[in-house]
Amino acid sequence: MDFELTEDQETIRKAVAGLLRDFDDRYWMEKDRDHEFPAEFYDAVARGGWLGLTIPEEYGGHGLGITEASLLLEEVARSGGGMNAASAIHLSIFGMHPVVVHGSEELKRRTLPRIANGDLHVCFGVTEPGAGLDTTSITTYARRDGDHYVVNGRKVWISKALESEKILLLTRTAKVGEVAKRTDGMTLFLTDLDRAHVDIRPIPKMGRNAVTSNELFIDELRVPVEDRVGEEGQGFRYLLDGLNPERMLIAAEALGIGRVALDKAVRYGKERVVFDRPIGMNQGVQFPLADSLARLDAAELVLRKATWLYDHGRPCGREANTAKYLCADAGFTAADRALQTHGGMGYSEEYHVARYFREARLMRIAPISQEMILNYLGSHVLGLPRSY
Amino acid sequence: METKEFVLVRDLLRSFAARFRVGSADDVKPSAGAAAQEALGELGLGELRRSTPPAATVQECALLAEEHGGLPLPTSLLGTVLLAPELLRLLGAPAAPGGTPTIALARDLRFPDASPSPLVAWDSEGADEALCVHPDGTVTAVGLGQAAPSVDLLRAIRTAGPARRVVGRLTLAGQRHWQAYALVVVAAELMGAARSFVGQSVAYARERSQYGRPVGSFQAVQHLLADATVQVEACASATRYAAWCLDHESPERALVAARVAKAEVNRSAVEAVYAGMQVFGGIAQTWEHVAHLYLRKVRVGATVLATTADLLTALAEPEPAAVAVVEAVR
Ligand SMILES: Cc1cc2nc3c(=O)[nH]c(=O)nc-3n(C[C@H](O)[C@H](O)[C@H](O)COP(=O)(O)OP(=O)(O)OC[C@H]3O[C@@H](n4cnc5c(N)ncnc54)[C@H](O)[C@@H]3O)c2cc1C
Repeated sequence: MDFELTEDQETIRKAVAGLLRDFDDRYWMEKDRDHEFPAEFYDAVARGGWLGLTIPEEYGGHGLGITEASLLLEEVARSGGGMNAASAIHLSIFGMHPVVVHGSEELKRRTLPRIANGDLHVCFGVTEPGAGLDTTSITTYARRDGDHYVVNGRKVWISKALESEKILLLTRTAKVGEVAKRTDGMTLFLTDLDRAHVDIRPIPKMGRNAVTSNELFIDELRVPVEDRVGEEGQGFRYLLDGLNPERMLIAAEALGIGRVALDKAVRYGKERVVFDRPIGMNQGVQFPLADSLARLDAAELVLRKATWLYDHGRPCGREANTAKYLCADAGFTAADRALQTHGGMGYSEEYHVARYFREARLMRIAPISQEMILNYLGSHVLGLPRSY
Repeated sequence: METKEFVLVRDLLRSFAARFRVGSADDVKPSAGAAAQEALGELGLGELRRSTPPAATVQECALLAEEHGGLPLPTSLLGTVLLAPELLRLLGAPAAPGGTPTIALARDLRFPDASPSPLVAWDSEGADEALCVHPDGTVTAVGLGQAAPSVDLLRAIRTAGPARRVVGRLTLAGQRHWQAYALVVVAAELMGAARSFVGQSVAYARERSQYGRPVGSFQAVQHLLADATVQVEACASATRYAAWCLDHESPERALVAARVAKAEVNRSAVEAVYAGMQVFGGIAQTWEHVAHLYLRKVRVGATVLATTADLLTALAEPEPAAVAVVEAVR
């Protein structure tokens, strides 16, 4: 067994941490407060060449693995940027996986190099008002019309849509009633968010406010056949390919938030003096933080194992799901305790832990809830009967 | 109060709440708060604890606080209607002519301690001064300054000015009664918020459908909500018992029960609201949804007056009565 990062991985971690030093907590506090996309941060990451981390070299990327991507996103979240920072770049880092694996050569040449250099912003459109976790219930429909499809429907929660030129869009090309399996009949596109046919409305939300999440009203959007990813009707299967890595990246982000929240709590526990001694000298304050350290460390190990398995081409569903579950939980608990440790001050934005708390809460719901992870482990790993 | 009479009062508050509840965070505006506070004032509930013996028992006051916590209301029931009048009653002091006091807390929202740190006027909607109970029992009235930012969007807080006058001094028993009473009504409001929010998430679990059936049909969701219900009931029992103690037992006993109740609420009301939010899924992350109003209330509420660490430390101390018995035996 080898628990060391490789030299390259260690270099990546240090380089990213160095790059992010320019974007401190104040920067993120202000972006969050002003609901402003962190363009300077995005540009710095793009200039550093990090956006194309996992995109193959022939399309302008570095062709690195999910281990490196998870280190990058963990570091980004840990810098204090949290989910604001991670969501600004998340999709560029790995979201194009279905395109890399299943897209046509022409589509890849046309889009991937622009993703890698930061020029092309993309968002990911799956969720609908009636289809949250239950993805196969989507109803957004793409009707074939010559060498185009015509798309109508409604999406919700689509992060970064307002700032994006293109969307990776999941549609139905056959209704549920017309296919043998519910997972059939779905088609994936990477296409322009043509504002003449897509009305985009940001949803005001509790946190992670530097990056919008939006409602999309799609009305007669014409999509050229060339923008289809892979074959018609296979979209859901293509997404499944990317699910495990997606879970690992989310896990890495949750871990990063947990780490920075814990750092802040520890610092405050040493500095704040009440009853003539630092509050961190009380077991009531110290133990929850020590417990969070243990939980974060344990969650991190599962995450490292999951990314290692994936990068070695081994099955990793169990580990990927477990990593998301444990990291989301450990990250949220650490943020919750950081808030508690700061007492009344925790609620002041000045101490940043309130922001981490709001973002960490999100990770237990999106993109997949803790309950659905347990459904996966229960039925796919333990072999218990599917409960839903 | 006669049961019939109390039901009448509670129904009055209930219809007030239905009328003035805010639909979302965007409705929390100073003008709306002022209008709602005026309407609350017209209900005359401030008289409930002004006479001796009081017109309403502590148990009844706790039920009203619970009711007020149930809906997102920008009004001050605790500070100006239930807490400050009780303090004046304990002191046998008249209110400042024409004035509406609320109570003053330390800047971190705990009971004021001996340190000279600045105070805030807590739950200050409609108030024009604040009463501060100092650790030696002296009660002073302080003027109000600027609105202070508060994470609990429904609860107005203002900075407090220098002391204007001494209002009186509480005896040791009076101080204990005061602390117990304050802990109980605050705990009751937080518990009311948790109870109501869990109720709303149960309703949502019935109507939101995924995988072709209501999400409430999944055991994971059911158990989450069942656990939350247990947590709310634990809060309710502890709080109601403490309120009963204030009506029937010595202030020492009541203070112990009140500390237990607030410690339970600090933890369980927050957990119950977390569970409710989990059931709402993504929608509870929106600014328009009421979830974060409840979350803010219970999360900040867990630090108001006394944090769990304060309470557990106090509860771990030997009880004064027990100490006396041990010493007598020796
Ligand atoms: C800030 C934010 C950003 C987002 N960004 C994007 C984006 O960019 N693109 C995109 O497509 N989507 C996005 N989403 C949507 C996100 O993926 C969904 O919110 C998530 O999938 C949950 O769906 P839902 O909110 O509809 O919850 P629901 O599916 O309605 O679930 C509600 C509750 O029921 C439980 N439940 C449901 N089914 C079961 C079951 N079978 N067994 C046990 N429990 C169950 C859930 O765990 C949850 O607690 C975003 C969401 C948020 C909040």
